[in-house]
Amino acid sequence: MDSAIRIIVNGFPETVPDNIAISQLIDRFNEGDTDLIVEHNGRFIYPDFYMTTRVSPGDRVEFINPNFGG
Amino acid sequence: MTTLTSQERLRYDRQMIIPGIGEAGQKKLKQAKVFIAGLGGLGSVSGYYMAAAGVGHLRIADGDCVEFANLNRQILHHTPDIGIPKTESALKKLRALNPFCVITALHETIRIDNVIGLVGDSDIILDGTDNIATRKVLNSASVSLDIPFIYGGVNGFNGTVSTFIPGKTPCFECLFHQQSDKTQSPGVIGPLPAMVAAIQSLEAIKIILEMDGLLTNRLLLIRGVDMVIKKIDVPKNPECPICGPDMEKRQNG
Repeated sequence: MDSAIRIIVNGFPETVPDNIAISQLIDRFNEGDTDLIVEHNGRFIYPDFYMTTRVSPGDRVEFINPNFGG
Repeated sequence: MTTLTSQERLRYDRQMIIPGIGEAGQKKLKQAKVFIAGLGGLGSVSGYYMAAAGVGHLRIADGDCVEFANLNRQILHHTPDIGIPKTESALKKLRALNPFCVITALHETIRIDNVIGLVGDSDIILDGTDNIATRKVLNSASVSLDIPFIYGGVNGFNGTVSTFIPGKTPCFECLFHQQSDKTQSPGVIGPLPAMVAAIQSLEAIKIILEMDGLLTNRLLLIRGVDMVIKKIDVPKNPECPICGPDMEKRQNG
């Protein structure tokens, strides 16, 4: 069984399974907006890499809604 | 050869005394041509700053007319301008601000079939649009004309800015290829587009002055509600349909 790790999601500490992928985090935190962008440790993650990008203890993940108004 | 009149020297004195600008930098600004796409909340502010800084030629494009609901943020337009084309309203204000600036007003909606003609021989595309689809059109023009595209967007108390240089940095499409085009107009509080467009304007001036330190390969995020401002690193997207290797192969035959 995977052990749990502590990470920061949208600025708040969260406990998640070790080695969890970004795609699973999106499901877990119910981020339903398909237009969100993902920042992982200060780096933009392309959607093609959501399934292969995995988090480690202490990582920071932010789900961000980009802005397209003017 | 570009020269500066005594009136221009007086007008631009406070920026010409900055080390790194001087007379040479002011002449670069005078020789520059900037395309401002959209004259709403963003384009109002970048229009003012481009004209005030002494950018020699502005091409300003917008197909809309001024409405009451524009006036909380679109500071180029005033109450008596209601109903007239935004380009006409903008032309009047920008000419009054700086008669040395040559302005070409283009009262047209920006589309894929007219964007190249609208941008013309501009050196830079400044984004002042209000939707993702038009930004993708501007981005394709940026890549095909090989000129920088300075993106800015707002929503509520939030803003986003990034500078894209074809061939050197990711492009707009790299980042937002999978984004849907939500058509509803978001709420916007006036100072947010002003902040975003001021940053875009500074980026345009830095490009014209050939300065380093551009907001490239990074996305600047502004969260006005608690004043968190941060940058995230953006790598190039190898799969990008606009600037990726497939596109380069197509361009090189």
